[in-house]
Amino acid sequence: MAIINLKKKEVQAKIVYYGPGRGGKTTNLEYIYKKFRSRIQTEMVTIKTHGDRTLFFDFLPIEIGRIKGYDIRIQLYTVPGQVKYESTRRLVLRGVDGIVFVADSLAVRRKENVLSLKSLADNLASYKKSISEIPLVFQYNKRDLLDEGIPLLPVEWLEKDLNSKLMAPSFEASALKGPNVVQTMKKIIVMTIESLRKDLT
Amino acid sequence: MAQERDEDNFRSQVEDRLDHLFEEESPETTEGHVALAEHPLKGLKAVLLSIDWEITDSTMDSLLNEIKNVEYVYSEDKIILTFLQLLGSIGKYVKANKSKAHPEATRVINSVYEALERVALTEGMSRPEKERMLLEEVGRFKKLKEQVVLRKLAKKEPAVSEVIPPPEPAPEEKRIPVTESPTPEGVQLEAGREARFAEMSPHEAFAYALEEIKNVIQAEFRALRAEIKLWRESR
Repeated sequence: MAIINLKKKEVQAKIVYYGPGRGGKTTNLEYIYKKFRSRIQTEMVTIKTHGDRTLFFDFLPIEIGRIKGYDIRIQLYTVPGQVKYESTRRLVLRGVDGIVFVADSLAVRRKENVLSLKSLADNLASYKKSISEIPLVFQYNKRDLLDEGIPLLPVEWLEKDLNSKLMAPSFEASALKGPNVVQTMKKIIVMTIESLRKDLT
Repeated sequence: MAQERDEDNFRSQVEDRLDHLFEEESPETTEGHVALAEHPLKGLKAVLLSIDWEITDSTMDSLLNEIKNVEYVYSEDKIILTFLQLLGSIGKYVKANKSKAHPEATRVINSVYEALERVALTEGMSRPEKERMLLEEVGRFKKLKEQVVLRKLAKKEPAVSEVIPPPEPAPEEKRIPVTESPTPEGVQLEAGREARFAEMSPHEAFAYALEEIKNVIQAEFRALRAEIKLWRESR
């Protein structure tokens, strides 16, 4: 749940990057942080463990500025993707306002994508939220590997597997190289703020 | 009608602000870098990318097999052979320890591979530049070994342990430091605490993470000193 302080005219929204392990959630935030560090003027917090893997979460706060008289602050989080950290994922989702589902385009990760989306739906349900109602954007990551001859899932398959019912906006992206990383973030921020708008009027 | 206009205006304001805040410059170019599509490294990269968190014997065997395949292709290139030996050495260690391997191991594998790919695919790269990149990765490899030693020293309970195998020397290789540097005897890895890690309470896990950070900083200083020494020797 976003924190809305009507007296101070502040809005703080929480967006979580969710997806299977090694799919590129942290890389998304790292790209944004490295690329725009001088503009967002905040620090990224991350705790990693085995082989550069996210242990608890990554956290990147962003000050959007004043819109319609409200100071808008966005908090970007990632969850640990590894299967064994289900309870941590659930904890990070508490109070979430928007989701970016970072799917791994590698052909060998098809099953993991589907399982991770199911876990997202289940974890949201535990907070009485519906995956079909919360602002959601899909990002099909690692598309750059197609140029390298690495077997990837066709986007049509990813759409069919993950997005056929939800019909959420989706982006083909490369978190490592940058294409559509910012577009994904912009889209989810706009959708999330719009969903909170009714509370601001 | 007015509400609709107000909504459009609000959305427009948000989008404008985001466009201003996250305006991107021209995308990075990869000049001089050849794509992997038909390259001998393609298979190796595919295996590295498919190594899941739950590392299996099968994926690690594939990695080691791919390393052998590429070694065959580059049998005349001592620099690339040394890169491959570093990969093989860490690969064997990860295979033996799997998820109990040191946290840095897979990061070093990825780093070594990225450097290897740049050396193999960048047209016109000079030999000194290739050697410089190799030297950096050798430094990372040595740092990893030091971190493994540190973890062993921090060990407080019996644990399954494994030894990091040294990279096998490149045939007739004389210039590359990795083949000259002695491997510390009895480099062993502590695994018991890692195995329990997932079961720790958040408080315990945080304390553990702090300890890890402390160890990493100490290892960074050791590695830095080692790299300075290597750099001086290479001049």
